Amino acid sequence: MEQLIQTAIIGLSNGLIYALVALGYTLVYGIIELINFAHGSVFMLGSMLALTLFLALGIHGSMPVGVILLAILLVLLVTMTVTATLNVAIERVAYRPLRHAPKLAPLISAIGMDFVLQNVGLLWKGPANQSIENIVPPTNVLTTVLGLQTGLEISYKQLMVAAVTIPLLVALTWFVTRTRQGKAMRATAQDPDTSGLMGINVNRTIAITFLIGGALAGAAGTVQILFNNTTVWNLGFRFGLNAFTSAVLGGIGNLPGAVLGGLILGMINAYSDRYLAAQWTNAIVFAVLIGILVFRPTGLLGQQLAERA
Amino acid sequence: MSGIDDPRIIEAARREAPRSGVLGWLANILDAITGIPGKWRESFRRGPVRTVALTVLLGLGVAYPILALYVLAPFSRNVFPLPLAGDTDLVFMLIFATMAIGLNVVIGFAGLLDLGYVAFYALGAYTAAFLASPHWSGLSFVLLSDVPPGFPGIHIAFWFILPLAAIVAAFWGALLGAPTLRLRGDYLAIVTLGFGEIVPVIFKNLVGVNFELGPIKLVDANLTGGPLGINPIDPPNLFGIKFGAVGGVAPVYLAMVIVFVSLLIARNLEHSRMGRAWAAIREDETAAEMMGVNTVRTKLLAFALGASFAGLAGSLQASYQGATTSDFFQFSTSILVVIMIILGGIGNIYGALVGALALVYVDKVLLAWIGQRMQGFGRSIDNDAIAHLNPASFNFLIFGIVLVAMMRFRPEGLIPNRQRTAELHEAPPDQAIGSAAVLGEAAIASEAQAEAIAEEVASEQGSASQPDAPPRDPDGAGP
Repeated sequence: MEQLIQTAIIGLSNGLIYALVALGYTLVYGIIELINFAHGSVFMLGSMLALTLFLALGIHGSMPVGVILLAILLVLLVTMTVTATLNVAIERVAYRPLRHAPKLAPLISAIGMDFVLQNVGLLWKGPANQSIENIVPPTNVLTTVLGLQTGLEISYKQLMVAAVTIPLLVALTWFVTRTRQGKAMRATAQDPDTSGLMGINVNRTIAITFLIGGALAGAAGTVQILFNNTTVWNLGFRFGLNAFTSAVLGGIGNLPGAVLGGLILGMINAYSDRYLAAQWTNAIVFAVLIGILVFRPTGLLGQQLAERA
Repeated sequence: MSGIDDPRIIEAARREAPRSGVLGWLANILDAITGIPGKWRESFRRGPVRTVALTVLLGLGVAYPILALYVLAPFSRNVFPLPLAGDTDLVFMLIFATMAIGLNVVIGFAGLLDLGYVAFYALGAYTAAFLASPHWSGLSFVLLSDVPPGFPGIHIAFWFILPLAAIVAAFWGALLGAPTLRLRGDYLAIVTLGFGEIVPVIFKNLVGVNFELGPIKLVDANLTGGPLGINPIDPPNLFGIKFGAVGGVAPVYLAMVIVFVSLLIARNLEHSRMGRAWAAIREDETAAEMMGVNTVRTKLLAFALGASFAGLAGSLQASYQGATTSDFFQFSTSILVVIMIILGGIGNIYGALVGALALVYVDKVLLAWIGQRMQGFGRSIDNDAIAHLNPASFNFLIFGIVLVAMMRFRPEGLIPNRQRTAELHEAPPDQAIGSAAVLGEAAIASEAQAEAIAEEVASEQGSASQPDAPPRDPDGAGP
């Protein structure tokens, strides 16, 4: 029983990172109906940038807590800014000129962009895994801080994932549902032409959507490097497909759905790794993806047209 | 634009109208071959310079393997500015050409984006590996192979495996397509991508299987060779000539024959009733359905038939190399084939051929050669960074840029298909309203389409088929 719960905890913390990336897919799909293949690689470049920054700042786990927290906040901000800018640039170069082309044209362009970004990562860091020492300690909070007698383990690392991810999710929900720009995003998602006639700058709204998606990918990259300590040039492909599967699982275009899908997918991954065999995990994820697309293409929560952004 | 009652058009349509059934298909291919001299004369009358140039190019292409390997090889370093492709490179260029021709049926003709085409390549390769190797060492079955009787394993001659691999791939294509082809274009792309990832994982992991179900009992069974794959696989063999990896030009010509037959089949498919149904679905699925096209079945056939070409290519790859492993079948290979047909010209069979030859040449020969040059240059100027730069490992950087740039600037490819070009440059109807310039463009597009439709109507009349008859089943691979 303890093992079952422990696996769920591991799954949920990975699932939160999936959710951050999945939101990028779902936001973009919601607004221009494009599977942004390059998104996974934006996340990968974000993790590489975060790794580089942590190493450049010389941050390590034995430093005072305040310094570490400040460093994480700084790296998070820089990474999010860079990946957001990158994502907007990608939209400008590879997708905007194809806005009125047949639907498969931007998809193919996105695949090309994905390969370009992967190779940027390869040129930058080489083909080997890039690792970093623990910055947030993997100490068990339950036994050491709370003094509980339990076999379960929730580490500072896992709390860090939640502490970064959950505020971002809340902020995103607030932005999309409560602000003027969020309203413009929802309107553009419903009908770009009519939105344009109503005075919404459609191109700018789409660019802002990519900006937000890119920022979330950068945050996910930073969290990934802090949580899993490693990154590699083709990380974005597998991770991106997992995140895309999450988005589809929850109902693509649906923001709460992406988060739910991410959490479920993180659990599926964790349980498959633990109770089946790790080498089958990818096949299982894809089988889930195919199964959902075939039997319930709208996902678990369905496409809430009024809310999709 | 000639009228549809022009006797020449009706005659041309009659010639191109396909016959159904396997025998009909063989007859079609035979027709196509025997019709070549006549077609050549007609083409010569229309454009003698172009025809002669193309003929010389084709002749050079056919003679190239012999020239390259036996005549030019010693001089190549000094005579040519670019490196020559060796026999292995040529075989792979042709294997990929077969795949590009097949994927063009799926993407180019029917407009379905298949991102997991490599799965069918893998299925073809493993079909050859299972049926022509000592892998099933508990069995002994030899069929028309040059392996001595009683040798462990199943050994079936390549000439049986080749069509069998096509059928296996088509079967799996139909099996995957049946539930998924109702999906929208981008969802289909993702499902196929998933399939392309699952198949190699299954081939990699089905080793040490323990399984019991009724009479079937497996204990630590090695089903697929695991990460090591399967080898040795028997090379193709005809009258004692072996077409394996050390066979010199022989396997190149075998691959050439396979590409040639693939070209003929693809060309026949394009001009068949089925091909016209594909074009209709590609342009407007709803309208096609209204006109009585059974869309799911038509798409399924495109998917299955397209997959069968990859089956051919896979069985050739395995038999030629004498080994196959699951690592050979990556997502990037699927994308490579997609790039080939986009570069060559989506919907154009000859574009797919040229795209495949060019891309594999760049990937396998040119980049390695440039890398050597750069290493030499780097050492000569004592620059470590240049000496250790290997452009071949950044091939997908180049291909990715090509993909983005092609979509942006020339989506119809280098050798465009006229009908496809019209579609790609056509503004969607709701965007066209209210803009005179766009309307003009749309008008040009629809004129080209109208012409193409007129041609199709003409061949429809020629084939005298009933409009409500079900689409013909070109090789019986239907559901």
